[in-house]
Amino acid sequence: MYILGIESTAHTFGVGIVKDGEVIANQRDTLKPEKGGIIPREAAAHHYSLAPEILSKALNEAGLSLKEIDMFAFSQGPGILSPLKVGYQVAAFLGSKFGKKVVGVNHCIGHLEIARLATGLEDPVMLYVSGGNTQVITFQEGRYRVFGETQDIGIGNLIDKIGRRVGLSFPAGPKIEEYAKKGRKYIKMPYSIKGMDVSFSGLETFISRIIKNEKIEDIAYSLQETAFSMLIEASERAMAYCSKSSLVITGGVAANSRLNEMGERMCQQRGADFRRIPMEFSGDNGAMIAYAGYLMRDQRAKDIMPKPYFRTDSVDIGYR
Amino acid sequence: MKMIALGSEAAIYDAGDCIIKRRIKKNYRIGEIDSSLRRSRTLREFKILSKCYSAGFKVPKPLSVSDSTYTIKMEKISGLQLDSCFDIDFIERISREIAGIHKLGVIHGDLTTANMIAEGKEVYIIDFGLGYFSLKPEDRASDLFLMKNALISRHPKKAAEAHRLLLKAYEKSMGKEFKEIETHLKDIEKRRRYHESS
Repeated sequence: MYILGIESTAHTFGVGIVKDGEVIANQRDTLKPEKGGIIPREAAAHHYSLAPEILSKALNEAGLSLKEIDMFAFSQGPGILSPLKVGYQVAAFLGSKFGKKVVGVNHCIGHLEIARLATGLEDPVMLYVSGGNTQVITFQEGRYRVFGETQDIGIGNLIDKIGRRVGLSFPAGPKIEEYAKKGRKYIKMPYSIKGMDVSFSGLETFISRIIKNEKIEDIAYSLQETAFSMLIEASERAMAYCSKSSLVITGGVAANSRLNEMGERMCQQRGADFRRIPMEFSGDNGAMIAYAGYLMRDQRAKDIMPKPYFRTDSVDIGYR
Repeated sequence: MKMIALGSEAAIYDAGDCIIKRRIKKNYRIGEIDSSLRRSRTLREFKILSKCYSAGFKVPKPLSVSDSTYTIKMEKISGLQLDSCFDIDFIERISREIAGIHKLGVIHGDLTTANMIAEGKEVYIIDFGLGYFSLKPEDRASDLFLMKNALISRHPKKAAEAHRLLLKAYEKSMGKEFKEIETHLKDIEKRRRYHESS
């Protein structure tokens, strides 16, 4: 059984193909605005113009033609409406053209399932960190439930905002990470955790006040140490609270090696398992949508309109 | 001394006639963050316990504190962790304790049924490790919000009813202060991401 999955919730347009639960293609392209943040209309335009190319690259990689695909899956949300519509329209069109089933997949569940597949961990706590999303999720009583999340902005968003202030282009993460490696001085910053929830707006305000008086290397170092400590603490609390013994970190910010190192050390100390996810599966990608679609292949056809506010814990997980 | 629990930030020891809570060093965070968090949380927790205990609330009686070893000595409470024996009947007690400490100016910061102990019909609130002092409706609402989430994630089947009863009893205790807290509670729920209804 071949399932083609389309991801288009934000900057990335991706197409992945799975054959009976095994990833056989994963192609994507990410819009990188020169200045400022994401503009919905520009992301949608990027996706529309690249959709045919990414689609055929994925089919070539898999050695398939469109009519051999048995089912089309797309990222239904959460995300930004304009780019979300692209994935929806492409999937709905292909489904009706070839008379195949179309399923909408929750984007966060896509991340979770590909993380389980890629690491082999059965039942991990997942720290999902990207531009807009910061959630601590794990499986409990039939659903993926959000145990902790940001009460304001996402961690990636925080890093990008700080990056923009010092003239870094999007995404600022890799450059902030480079600066952080050269930082020597820890500047005490607001550390805000409530239960398993975190909050980053205090950090943003604090940094914007000191940004002119401190070295960017020290700011980047202190920012990473503070924000990542909060995230790892929230993850550890969720592990203790739900008696789970493994952790994965996924999403765009999972590319940061310091964050992974901290996750690894936390797990080591509590005798838990930590595994890294290969980069191709940690950022937004089509394979995760195809794979989650594969897991959900038997579910009844449901409303497939894009859902910008699609919550992770609103989906019944019938296959676990 | 026997370790009886290893939480995410502290080890709990049974020292015979009392309990010792020691905040442990976390290898993942740098020394500056680690020691400052352990120190401030230990001192603050002791202060909060003292205030709640002397006002007559059901919390472990604090005995002594050390900010060099990050430890608090407190009285032992026998009973079961509430998450293992949760029942709707406990809600009124829970609500009364929460409202009481809120009136005292204390926010728990980590309300879950795992942080409560049932002893007979009484409910003790423990682990004020993330607690702080505040009288702000926003902070009180965030405590209620944590409790609601804990109910949903830990006791999904009883959560809706439990939360409804909790709010009802809490409103009764808080009187006219409740209106504003309720507004903030709705606000916090909206602020979290992705609501099907929005």
